[in-house]
Amino acid sequence: MHTSDSEDFESADEGHGSPEKKERKKRLSSSNYSDNALETDQQPQEPKPSATAVKNIAKETDGWDDFDIDDNEPIAPPPTKAKVTDSKKEVEQKPTNVKADQKSQVPCWDEFDDWGQDDTVSTQRTEPPKPVQNKQSAQPDPNIKEVTDRLAAASTGASGGWGGWGWSVDSLLSTATAGISNITSQVSQGISTVLETGIGAPDPEELARSSVKANEAKAPVPAPISAEDGDKLQGRQGSSPEAGANAGDAAFPFGSLFSGVSKFVETTGTKVISGGLDTLETIGKKTMEVLQDGDPGLAKKRALLGLGAGDKPVLSQVLREAKAKADEDDRVREEKREAKEVHYENLFDDFEGLVHLEALEMLSKQISMRIEERMRSVDADKRQDIKETLQQVAELCEMPEEEEDDDEPPSEGVSKADAFHERLQTATQDLGLKLQFQPLVKQYTDILTYISGSPDTTVKGIYKRAVSGLAQATALSVEQYHKAAEMLLVKTRRSTADEADALTQMTVVLTKHISELATLFTEKLNGLPSDNTEQVNTYITNIFLEAGNSSTYIQNAFQLALPILQIGAV
Amino acid sequence: MTSGPYNYSYIFKYIIIGDMGVGKSCLLHQFTDKKFMADCPHTIGVEFGTRIIEVAGQKIKLQIWDTAGQERFRAVTRSYYRGAAGALMVYDITRRSTYNHLSSWLTDTRNLTNPSTVIFLIGNKSDLDGQRDVTYEEAKQFADENGLMFVEASAKTGQNVEEAFLETAKKIYQSIQDGRLDLNAAESGVQHKPASPGRPLPAPPAARDNCAC
Repeated sequence: MHTSDSEDFESADEGHGSPEKKERKKRLSSSNYSDNALETDQQPQEPKPSATAVKNIAKETDGWDDFDIDDNEPIAPPPTKAKVTDSKKEVEQKPTNVKADQKSQVPCWDEFDDWGQDDTVSTQRTEPPKPVQNKQSAQPDPNIKEVTDRLAAASTGASGGWGGWGWSVDSLLSTATAGISNITSQVSQGISTVLETGIGAPDPEELARSSVKANEAKAPVPAPISAEDGDKLQGRQGSSPEAGANAGDAAFPFGSLFSGVSKFVETTGTKVISGGLDTLETIGKKTMEVLQDGDPGLAKKRALLGLGAGDKPVLSQVLREAKAKADEDDRVREEKREAKEVHYENLFDDFEGLVHLEALEMLSKQISMRIEERMRSVDADKRQDIKETLQQVAELCEMPEEEEDDDEPPSEGVSKADAFHERLQTATQDLGLKLQFQPLVKQYTDILTYISGSPDTTVKGIYKRAVSGLAQATALSVEQYHKAAEMLLVKTRRSTADEADALTQMTVVLTKHISELATLFTEKLNGLPSDNTEQVNTYITNIFLEAGNSSTYIQNAFQLALPILQIGAV
Repeated sequence: MTSGPYNYSYIFKYIIIGDMGVGKSCLLHQFTDKKFMADCPHTIGVEFGTRIIEVAGQKIKLQIWDTAGQERFRAVTRSYYRGAAGALMVYDITRRSTYNHLSSWLTDTRNLTNPSTVIFLIGNKSDLDGQRDVTYEEAKQFADENGLMFVEASAKTGQNVEEAFLETAKKIYQSIQDGRLDLNAAESGVQHKPASPGRPLPAPPAARDNCAC
C-alpha cells in the first residue's frame, strides 16, 4: 500500500516533472509514507464515484509503467504516453474538481501533502477488487498488467532503485514471516507480500477472491479469463512458472501472476480456501501489526480487547467458546427467571413486612421531629442534656458483639419452637408490653415440621419454601418492632433503659432465629441426594443471601424504633 | 418481572378511620375475606389488608390501613394518614356519639391528607336498623355539605361494603384520568405499577412537611 503512494506521485512526476524534482519528490513521498498509510487506514474509504476510480486505475497504471521504465530503462516514455493520454481524456470527462486536483499537483510538488492528493491516492486503494473482476471479463486490461508487473518484479527480486517499494517488501516480508507460518517458499512470500502491498490494504475479500481466481485457473474447466490467456494458464499450470515467459507483452506478467498464485495455492495447500477463516484472521492480525507501528495506542486497545499477541486464538475455537458462553448465559438467565418466581421482596411484601416497615418508618419520622421540636423549645443547657440522653439511649441499642454463642440447649422435653418462644419472652420481659409472638412461633413450628419430614423432597421445592419462610419470619419480626413502637408510644410509664435493652435482646434472638432457619433449610438441601450439586450450591448461596437480607431488615426496623425509645427519656 | 398476583397497574392506599367500635376492622375483613368477624379484638395502632380489584379494566391493588379507633392511639394513627388516596370515615348508626365525632375525624383527614384524597363516609351496622340513632337523611346532608361520598353499610351482612371500597377506587381512578391527581406527587397515595421492591429499605418519601403535630 505504501508503494502505491509513491507510485502515484511518481506517475505524476513522470508525466510532467523534471528529474531533479523527481528526486525531491521521492524523498517527500517516502517521508510521508507512514502518515498517509495511517490516515487512510484509520478512515475507511467511502466508495467514490466509479468514474474517479477508473481514473485512478489509469493513473496507477501510468505509475507502474513509468516505474518499470524508470528502473529498467533510462528514459522511455512511449507506452506511458499513450496511457497518460488515456487518463487525461478520462480526466476531462470528470467533474472539474478532480481535474483541478490533478492539475494542481503538476506544477507544485510541495502540494503533495494536499488533502486532495491524498484523496485520490486513497481512492485508488479502495480499488483493488476491480482489477480482479476485470480479469474475469475483458482482457488485456492495464490493471492486470499493473498487478502482474508488480508480481513479476517481486518474484524476480526487485532491483536496487525501488525506493519505497523495497522498504515495503522488506518490512512486510518480516511481518509475513511472522504471520503466515505455513508459507515457506520465498517466492510465495514475495507473492503474498505483493498481493498485499500492490493490492493496497490487506483486504481479506480481495485475497479470497485471488485465491478463488487461482483455483479457477487450476480447474480443468476453461477459466473465465480471455480464451487465450486461460489456455496458456491451463497448459502452464502445475509446470514451470516461467513458462509464461514466451507469452505476449501483456501475457507474461499475467501468466507469472497466476503461476505464482497457483504455486502459492499449492504450497499452502487448500488452507487458503478451507482454512479461510484462519487466513482472514492472519491478515487481520498483520494489518493490526502494521497499523500498530504508527499507532502504539492500538496495542493498548488490542490488549484491552484481549487480543494479545501471545495467544493465537483460532476462530473456530473462539466460536466454540462463544457458544459455550451463550449456553451458560441461557442457563443463568433461566435460573434468574426461576429465582424471580421466589422473589424475596415480593414475598416479604405479601406477608405485610413492607407495609409494617413503612408504617414504622412514618412513626419514626414523626417522633424524630417531635424530639427536634422539644430540643428547639428548651434552652442551651437543657438541650445539651437531651442530646446526651439521646446518645445514651442510642448506645444502649448498639448490637452486642457476637460473643455469647451459648445457645443453652433447650431443656428436656421442651420443643425448639417453645424454646424460641421462651427466649423471645425472656428477652422482652422488661419491655413492659404484651407482644404477640404466637405468629412467629407458629411459623417456626411449621418450618420444623416441614424440615423433619415433608413429602416435598425436590431441591426447588425446598428452596422456595426456604425463601418464603425467611420472608415470612422477617415480616413477622418487623411487625413486632412496629407493634412495640406503637405500644410504647401509648405506654403511660416509660423506662427507656429497660426498653432499649429488651429490644436489643429481641433483635439478637430474632437475627439468630433467621440464621437458624437458613441453616435448617440448607442442611435439608445438602442432605438431599442430588445429581445437580451446582444447582444446590446456587440455592444454598441464595438462601444465605436472603438470610443476610432478612437480618438487615430486622436491624433496620430496630433502628427505626430508636426515636420511639428515645422520646421516652426526654 | 413479576407475574400472577403481582401484575396490577396501580396501588391505592386507603385509610379507615372512625371511633372505636364502629366496625372498621370488620368492614375490612368483610371486604378482603368476605367474612364477618363477630368479636374483633381492638386494633393496636394499625393493621393492614389488601385486595386486588379491577376498575375500567385496570387491576388495582388496594393497600388498606385499618387504624385503631381508641382515643389513646389517636396520636399514633395520625402518623398514618399521609399518602392516603382514599379515606373511609366510619360511624355507627346506632351510636350518635360516633356520628358527632365525624367533624373531628374529617378535620384530621383534611389536614393530614392531600386535597385529592377521596373521602367516603360509611354509616356502619345498617343491619341494626331497629337501634338506629342517626337517620340516613341527616348523615346524607352532612356528607353533601362536606363533599363526601356516602353509603350506609353492614359489615355483618356485607351490604354496600363492596360498593364503598369500589366507588372510592373509581373516584380515585377518575381523578387520575382527569389529571386532578398527580401520580408523581409523593403523597398522592397512588403508585403506578407495583413498586419494584429494591434491596434496601424503600427510600423515605422526600421531606414531608409536618402539619398538625
